[in-house]
Amino acid sequence: MTMVKDRLEKHLLDSLPSGALAVDRENRILYVNRALARVVGIHIEEWEGRPLEEFLQLLDDRFQCPSNLALRLEWDPHDRSTRSREMEFREKGGDRVYYVREDSRPLRDAEGRVVGRLFVYHDMRREREIDRMKSEFIAVASHELRTPMTSIKGSVDLILSGYAGDISTDTQELLEIAQKNCDRLIRLINDILDLAKIEAGQIRLKLEPLDLTDAVEHSMLGVRSLADQSEIRLTLFRPESLPLVEVDKDRIEQVVTNLLSNAIKFSPPKGEVRVELDLVDGCVQCCVVDQGCGIPEDQLTNVFGKFQQVANSKAKGGTGLGLAIVQALVNEHRGKIWVESRLNAGTRFIFRLPASEAAPGAPGPSSS
Amino acid sequence: MTLSKILLVEDDVDIQKVVRMSLKLRGVKDILVAEDGEECLAVVGGLKPDVILLDVMMPKLDGYETCRRLKANPETRDIPVIFLTAKAQQFEIKRGLEEGACGYLLKPFDPMTLHDQIVALLNQKGDGPKKA
Repeated sequence: MTMVKDRLEKHLLDSLPSGALAVDRENRILYVNRALARVVGIHIEEWEGRPLEEFLQLLDDRFQCPSNLALRLEWDPHDRSTRSREMEFREKGGDRVYYVREDSRPLRDAEGRVVGRLFVYHDMRREREIDRMKSEFIAVASHELRTPMTSIKGSVDLILSGYAGDISTDTQELLEIAQKNCDRLIRLINDILDLAKIEAGQIRLKLEPLDLTDAVEHSMLGVRSLADQSEIRLTLFRPESLPLVEVDKDRIEQVVTNLLSNAIKFSPPKGEVRVELDLVDGCVQCCVVDQGCGIPEDQLTNVFGKFQQVANSKAKGGTGLGLAIVQALVNEHRGKIWVESRLNAGTRFIFRLPASEAAPGAPGPSSS
Repeated sequence: MTLSKILLVEDDVDIQKVVRMSLKLRGVKDILVAEDGEECLAVVGGLKPDVILLDVMMPKLDGYETCRRLKANPETRDIPVIFLTAKAQQFEIKRGLEEGACGYLLKPFDPMTLHDQIVALLNQKGDGPKKA
């Protein structure tokens, strides 16, 4: 029975389109499947029982390998985690490039003891090609949508400026509607492209150590005039000191600004929007609290979805993508975000970012 | 501070008009237009504009290559170039600046502030217009 099972397992591994390599605890090769043997150009039988270093040397002879390949394949027998990495191999003396994702996990015997490690190599060329096509689409769509918008916005703005002569009140009102919606369309185009870039992993975060207080204060300054229009008070509660977070300053300010703008838009006139910063479970937590009408419970789960505006939010001029972008950006920073809300009792948007050092302090208010 | 002579390199006729009107509104007297990069290179020597506003996506010769050639020619290398383009991605902006432009403005732009943005970019680089 065991022999049948072993043969079946080998047959299954040989049928895989992905490469597979298993080693024992002493880094001797237990098994190389057909797909990997074909790419590397070896006979499976000759390699069983041979040291892994020899296999690495062979790879090094045939491919320009990632410099840390050996480190990746050297593994700690006590490491029981599953790991995943992407690598690139260029054929020496040829033009083939293999984009590979390596998934490795502990190999266990029937009793569950770790007896080695299994490495599986997936060909990522198709994914790379799709990524490339997506990038190309983003670039073309961006250009093709912005070009006509330039003429429309420019013309409307110029007429409204009086450049082409006096216009009647009705004409002015109609053109202002066109102008407002033109600006909205531009924001929508920007948001769609921004989200597409984040989702395609095309944004490069410029990570730097930052006191989140600085980003919040800067964002509060940016939305001050919006708050003033409805006489809304902006208040910041923060500890005396906070650990730094490793973030892209511009992108985190984008997150905070978006949450603040939403909070202001949904707050009653002369209300208060509060930002609370704190250290919680090794993370710096930022909470944006409004006194607005709240979000119905059945819509809470959709709030970060694309074009998922809550019932009365369309009138506020949003694109329906702001919170999707906010969530994607927080995720890119290895953080998490969620919302708490009750109807007619306000809403709290909370996000946490991993702290890069510990220095807690006592919370205290400061007005902005 | 007002610019007096601008060379706009732009193949879209509608955008040409909007740029022309927006700059005229701020008192720019000469707004010259080239339809593509080749035409820009052919006429720029005789025009000596205060600044070249350069689109990227154009027939015959794109904006990046046009800028590279302008900067490689001793006769035109000192004329400030500002990209005015819908190419809005970070790598595109980076490339524009690497080709030697002193600024990068995105479409859609605000026609009411276009002139001021151009002057601000020129002043940043010390290429600002002389006081009228």
